[in-house]
Amino acid sequence: MRCLILALAATALPITVQAKTLSLQVTGEALATEGFTAPELTRDGWTISFGRVQASFADVTAWRTDPPFAADGPGIDGAALPFDGTFTVNLAEAGEDGRIDLATLPAEAGHYNALSWGLVPATDGPDAGYSLVLQGMATKDGQEVAFTLRSADRIAYACGEFVGDTRKGFVTDAAPGQVEITLHLDHIFGRADLPADDAMNQTALGFDQFASGGTHDISLQGIHLGHVGEGHCHDTTL
Amino acid sequence: MIRPCSLLLAMALPASALAHGAELTATPVQAIALEAHFDTGEPMAGAQVQAFAPDAPQTPIALGQTDADGRFVFVPDPAPGRWTVQVRAAGHGAITYFEQGANALRVTVERPQDWGQRALMVALVAWGALGTVLFFRRNKRG
Repeated sequence: MRCLILALAATALPITVQAKTLSLQVTGEALATEGFTAPELTRDGWTISFGRVQASFADVTAWRTDPPFAADGPGIDGAALPFDGTFTVNLAEAGEDGRIDLATLPAEAGHYNALSWGLVPATDGPDAGYSLVLQGMATKDGQEVAFTLRSADRIAYACGEFVGDTRKGFVTDAAPGQVEITLHLDHIFGRADLPADDAMNQTALGFDQFASGGTHDISLQGIHLGHVGEGHCHDTTL
Repeated sequence: MIRPCSLLLAMALPASALAHGAELTATPVQAIALEAHFDTGEPMAGAQVQAFAPDAPQTPIALGQTDADGRFVFVPDPAPGRWTVQVRAAGHGAITYFEQGANALRVTVERPQDWGQRALMVALVAWGALGTVLFFRRNKRG
């Protein structure tokens, strides 16, 4: 009976985020949830809204590295904390802060200052075989186009520390830590508010080539989609 | 010869005028020089520069902005340990680190210059300044 009472009491406790845990989050930032809207149109002037920005991730590992990993190659040396499993999420449906929680693990205290993961084809569901599916509506000069862009590429990312408004990855006795996979969709479509000769616009696909609508297969090679916040990653197409 | 005359003149002035005195000291220091640029070679001009001290790694110290050439020079407080520096602009950022020991600055992580596919890089150089007067920016943590 005592065990039962304790169990009932435990279930009645509010769910709280525990210290000495590390959470894995993913975001496509505002471009995934709000789309490309003026002045942030695609490099060729399209407005885009997404119904789905579906991505699949596997082999996710957070690292404590010393000296810090500089994202200058595919290999990371350090203490590893693997997030097992495959995660398939729709980044267009992220919450108010644009992030989706994927997993939380018990973690040793320290600074998780590197992150590696694979963008991998989904193994089941209607998009099996595709690692990234972008579905939505694009408009330009009164033309409205329904589109689906999908990639079957398998890409390994090796990233250093998160770069953003705050530093992340600190796990202490008093506070949990977070690591974040960030996808920069403007590297696929480019940005009209940047110069045409901007390095990103030079490699981005834009949208003109998909103006006929329908479904198109795309390659992500040479497109640096994966980041950690504003920080960059080394990527290897597998 | 100048010193006595100056003293007499100072004694004759009203007390408030003494507040206009100025003093200049030049001290050799060791500084950190950053150079941030995109992989196209374009300088990362006007980028936000923040530092994080070893004893407060989650508290940003706003240092300022890079110049038109993507450069920024500063003298860190003497807290020993690993310092972190972020440079951010237009949705892109880079991070680098340096160690400050008991007697000297030591760069432990330096971005390689041939880092071809990075969107931006930060080169970091510790300047030894023995015998050299530097124009530098002294920034207080705040």
